[in-house]
Order: sequence, then C-alpha cells, then structure tokens
Amino acid sequence: MKFLRPTKELRAASHLVFQITPTEKAVLLTTLKLFPVLDSAHHQLSKSDSAVRPSEQHLLEESMAQQQSAHQRKLSQFFRAEKQFFRAERGELRLSLSPAQLEWLLQVLNDIRVGSWVQLGCPELESMRRELARENPVAFTAMETSGYFQMVLLEACKGDEPA
Amino acid sequence: METAIPVTAPGTGQEEKTDTKNLPDRGYLVICWNDPVNLMDYVTHVFQSVFRWPKARAEQHMLQVHHAGKSLLVRETFEKAEHYVHQLHGYGLHATMEKEE
Repeated sequence: MKFLRPTKELRAASHLVFQITPTEKAVLLTTLKLFPVLDSAHHQLSKSDSAVRPSEQHLLEESMAQQQSAHQRKLSQFFRAEKQFFRAERGELRLSLSPAQLEWLLQVLNDIRVGSWVQLGCPELESMRRELARENPVAFTAMETSGYFQMVLLEACKGDEPA
Repeated sequence: METAIPVTAPGTGQEEKTDTKNLPDRGYLVICWNDPVNLMDYVTHVFQSVFRWPKARAEQHMLQVHHAGKSLLVRETFEKAEHYVHQLHGYGLHATMEKEE
C-alpha cells in the first residue's frame, strides 16, 4: 500500500488516495474486523489516587467505551461503502479517504495495535519478536499489520501543519 | 522507565511573573508516558492533532517521551487537563494527569 501524492482534482476534493493491492485490501479489512481489541478499563486517568476521584476514572472509561461504539458504527459504514475502493484507469485498485476518515482509521488501527500488544502481555518488542510470534501468532500478526497500515496512513499526514 | 519528571520540559520552562491572585488553578500536569508499541510518527501526529502544535514542537515532546520515558505536555486546570487526557487516551496513548506538588 502506498500514498499517492494528490492530483489537482483530488486536492480540491481533499481526498487522500492510496494505491493498494487486492491482498492488502483483504488484510486491511480482516484486521479492521478485529476492532475493538483494547478494553476500556485499560485506560488510567492518573497514576496518583489523590489526583482524581473514582467517578472521574469511571468517566474516562465510559468516554472510551462511547468512542469505541462510534468507531464501530463508522466501521460498519466503511465496510458497506465499496466506493472507498475504486479502480484507476489502468485497473489498479485504489483506496480513497477523506481527512476525517483517515483520522479515525488511524485511531481504530491503533486500538487494534495497542490492544493486541496488551493481549501479548505488554512486552518489550525489539528483543522478543520471534517468541511473541510463536506464542500468540494472532495477536502478534494483528499488532504488526495494524502498525504497517498506520505507517502508510501517516505518510499522507506528513507536511500537515495545524492552522 | 525513568520515574523523575524532567527538570525542564519542552515548552514548559520558566514563565513570566504575573499577578496570580485571580488566575484559575493550573496545577495539573498532563504527562505522556513511553511504551514500546505506539509508533513515533503516530505520537507526533497525535500531539499535533490534540494540541495544535507545529510539527517541530510535537516531535520534541515525542522524542522526550521516547528517550526520557515521559514528557510533561501541558500544565492546566483540572477540567482542561482531564479533557486532554481523554483525547490522548482516545488516540491510544498512555497519558495521565497528576497534581503538581
């Protein structure tokens, strides 16, 4: 998968277009179907008990659960809307995203990546890749593939400066 | 992971002396902690999106998280600090709010 620098028409429509192979499309959709992976109880508002009340911690968990539901609704639309994927002139497959779609897709992929990492036991990654892949290949593969797609999506954000 | 808050964090250095009598209590620190799973470019992107920081400043904080184990992002009122922590968690970062000693 690769970000394609926008043509004049696409820039006007503010769409971001990616070159994607049919295999990558299948892997992306399979990975996205894993969402949500991260438990909302994983989120911790403070390391110090004195800084926040239990009700405020509860509010954070509730807010994260609501966000996951909203992402799930958008994902259902994403799976139904085949227009996200289209064929270019020479027949190559493309994925088109609006900036807002790219933003939530990054969050969804990161939920899968971090959630899979938690399932693996929050390990240090550099030295343990081989063992992790052997012990829990599903979580390991989900973590790696979501990271791969995140990196490609982030390519499209490079050069963006907040107004 | 290191435990001490860095003496000087990017963009949170010495502040000008002002009359603080009527100012809201900005005694809450929003801290982002290192983990081995969030991608460096992703963390930079999140800081840019949440705080509307220019890329250079976002990168500076991301590198501090990576090398020092954590970075003090902002010093804010309780409500604003809570709002930022919610946003950072929404992106999957490990961020907390702590009362300034």
